[in-house]
Amino acid sequence: MRPSRSFFFPFSLPSLLAIAGCCAATGCDVPIAKFQPNTLYLARIEKSQGADLLLASADTTAALEDFFGTPDKPLWPDFLQTDTDLAKLVHPERLERAAGAVRSDQADQHVGLYREHCVQCHGIAGDGLGPTSRFLNPYPRDFRLGKFKFKTTPIGKKPTRTDLRRVLAEGLKGTSMPSFRILKDDELDALVDYVTYLSVRGQVERQLLTVAAIELDYETGDRIYDTSLRESNPDQFRTQRDRISKVVNEVASQWSQANAAVTKVPEPPADHPLHPNYGSVSATDDDRQSASVLRGRKLFQGPIANCASCHGAMAMGDGQTNNYDAWTKDWTEGIDPQSRDQLRPFLKLGALKPRFILPRNLRTGVYRGGSEPSDLYLRIVNGIDGSPMPATAMQPANPQGLTETDVWDLVNFLLNLPYEAISKDAGISAPKHSASAITSALQTQ
Amino acid sequence: MPALTQSSEMPYSPAVHGLAVTLTLAVFPLIWVGGLVTTYDAGMAVPDWPNTYGYNMFAYPASTWLFGPFDLLVEHSHRLLGTVAGLISIGLVVAAWFFDRRLWFKRWAVFVLLAVIAQGALGGFRVLLDQRSFAMIHGCTGPLFFAIATATAVMSSRWWMARAAKDTETKFTSLAAARLAAVLLIASYCQLVIGAQLRHITAAVDHRVFMAFVHTHLTLAGLVVILAICLSMVTGLNRRTPLRVSFPAVLIALLVLVQVSLGIATWIVNYALPWQELSEWLARYTISAKGYWESIIVTAHMATGSLIISLATVTALRASRSRERVVEKEVSRKWKQQLA
Repeated sequence: MRPSRSFFFPFSLPSLLAIAGCCAATGCDVPIAKFQPNTLYLARIEKSQGADLLLASADTTAALEDFFGTPDKPLWPDFLQTDTDLAKLVHPERLERAAGAVRSDQADQHVGLYREHCVQCHGIAGDGLGPTSRFLNPYPRDFRLGKFKFKTTPIGKKPTRTDLRRVLAEGLKGTSMPSFRILKDDELDALVDYVTYLSVRGQVERQLLTVAAIELDYETGDRIYDTSLRESNPDQFRTQRDRISKVVNEVASQWSQANAAVTKVPEPPADHPLHPNYGSVSATDDDRQSASVLRGRKLFQGPIANCASCHGAMAMGDGQTNNYDAWTKDWTEGIDPQSRDQLRPFLKLGALKPRFILPRNLRTGVYRGGSEPSDLYLRIVNGIDGSPMPATAMQPANPQGLTETDVWDLVNFLLNLPYEAISKDAGISAPKHSASAITSALQTQ
Repeated sequence: MPALTQSSEMPYSPAVHGLAVTLTLAVFPLIWVGGLVTTYDAGMAVPDWPNTYGYNMFAYPASTWLFGPFDLLVEHSHRLLGTVAGLISIGLVVAAWFFDRRLWFKRWAVFVLLAVIAQGALGGFRVLLDQRSFAMIHGCTGPLFFAIATATAVMSSRWWMARAAKDTETKFTSLAAARLAAVLLIASYCQLVIGAQLRHITAAVDHRVFMAFVHTHLTLAGLVVILAICLSMVTGLNRRTPLRVSFPAVLIALLVLVQVSLGIATWIVNYALPWQELSEWLARYTISAKGYWESIIVTAHMATGSLIISLATVTALRASRSRERVVEKEVSRKWKQQLA
């Protein structure tokens, strides 16, 4: 007896329909010919200016394609390649290697690195709106604002290549950003170039839209970039290109100045021994270290550093918990991020539902930007770009600010926190565990 | 006497069954390696097809294959394992033609061969056209072929033949259990198809579509868990159910639990959990892109899904074969014939 046809029929038909349906839903490899325009920023300035900027958006898209190419064939403008400093930012060969479809060869040379490793979260245009983005916490970074959290430069400055490379190589603990330590040096370099490229391109896009909305009067015929003038009025077209080139140059220059803006981390003073995890501790160091932790604790609660206002008196990240990061504030400016009605038009454009940014629970001892003393020093002095974590006021620029020694005291306090018992008077009491107690505890472990 | 004497007319063929079982066993590692191809995004590690970098695929230098880039190793191995499955399928057609008297089974064996050829061609088109959507379809039809190979093994087995002489049987599968097994098979396959969308998602897909796939995948996972538990209970608690049905049903339930754990692990090693600070371990965990354990977990989740489909095929076919209603009908038909 053969199995009845009715046995196979319900198995095969839904299967084929399911595969066909899924294929239709996923778009069956829609060619990635263009970068998606920044519709959220466009909607925001249209709302603030009360103007229809559809033509300005089309002009900006055309300009960006001429200057920066497409996802498959990206360009780094010629005039940037002739400048010694700007040429170092992005190398056309590395850019080509990171772009396009994924493939590899017998020599293990991988091409299409961005689509192989990054695109599912960060999206084709680096807008942080990749297919998986909705589920990630924090949301993937939108490169187009040119803001990066974990770097050696102060708030408002661009990251160095080393900063970007470190995040790529080490990943970010406790987030969806993986470590790409499996990649070779040249592959990491290519990805750093591509992230820089997307960021510069994205910032230029925003600035061109701003210029088109505020400085130009589209109703009287002004255009930011009109390709029809290429033949009909070459002089005017050149003027338009020069204006755009100037914007591109300004944005790229911010990136090339990053190395000069790096905050140097001084060595801790000789009488400020660090936590036992980061060096040997003698009996004398023990007392000094305890005193340093105590001073750090006072600073943590004090009005200058004022860490407790966000991180909470117990340093458990339970202070201010209703703030947003810069990427959310960027498109929610002028609206209530909690109002569904006000959010709806932006969510339809693909925006991700606003989430509060939560201060770090400092008692876990896990810091996304690195847990080394020098990392903590930089976070305190530089702040975290795009987040509510500010740079602390420092002497001598601010006479009321902290000294370098104060910052090391804070670092010692932070390093000691995971080993402290949580108690109600943690904010004002002496350290619960002296350095020698911690050392012996570590040894018994 | 049609059905009742068929077993004596169509004896069990060890050659046919052996080849069918071998095919099934060969397809499982093929699916594993295919899963690694997707995990490592190695689909384009060999840009030509059916050749490998201009070589006949069987003549490609072993030194580069085995000791070259890992992507090349998995992609070329996947192709070679595919040809092994194809060769076994050819052997199956020949064996069925000579040793199996059932015409429909001979046709089925030809269908199996055509299916493996089509599956190989799909893989080839994925490379030649560089289309991820072909990779997705190839990923969906791979487990389908695994189910077909499994069905071939079941339908060529000694037990399958022996069940034709139903007047000697004392154990039967209830209609409810047979239907439950069929529904479980369909549900687990649909689940795998949705899983394939998540694995092969392209950058052009909107995050809302991905969310819809994730929610569907989670809902179907719940359905499969419920169905698997129900099936194992319905077959396990009924003493009349043949062990050949109840045993794989229990195995499916256990595998589904493993699969749920692998699913959670797959999410963690791909995307981390959205509430990392629940535990210090999660807060400290850094995902390693294409790391060893990460890749093993993700690929194991895919392969276990295929294994569940294979076992569900076994259970559904055996349950269908040993169904109470069918047997009762045939016994009554036999009596009627004797009376006549």
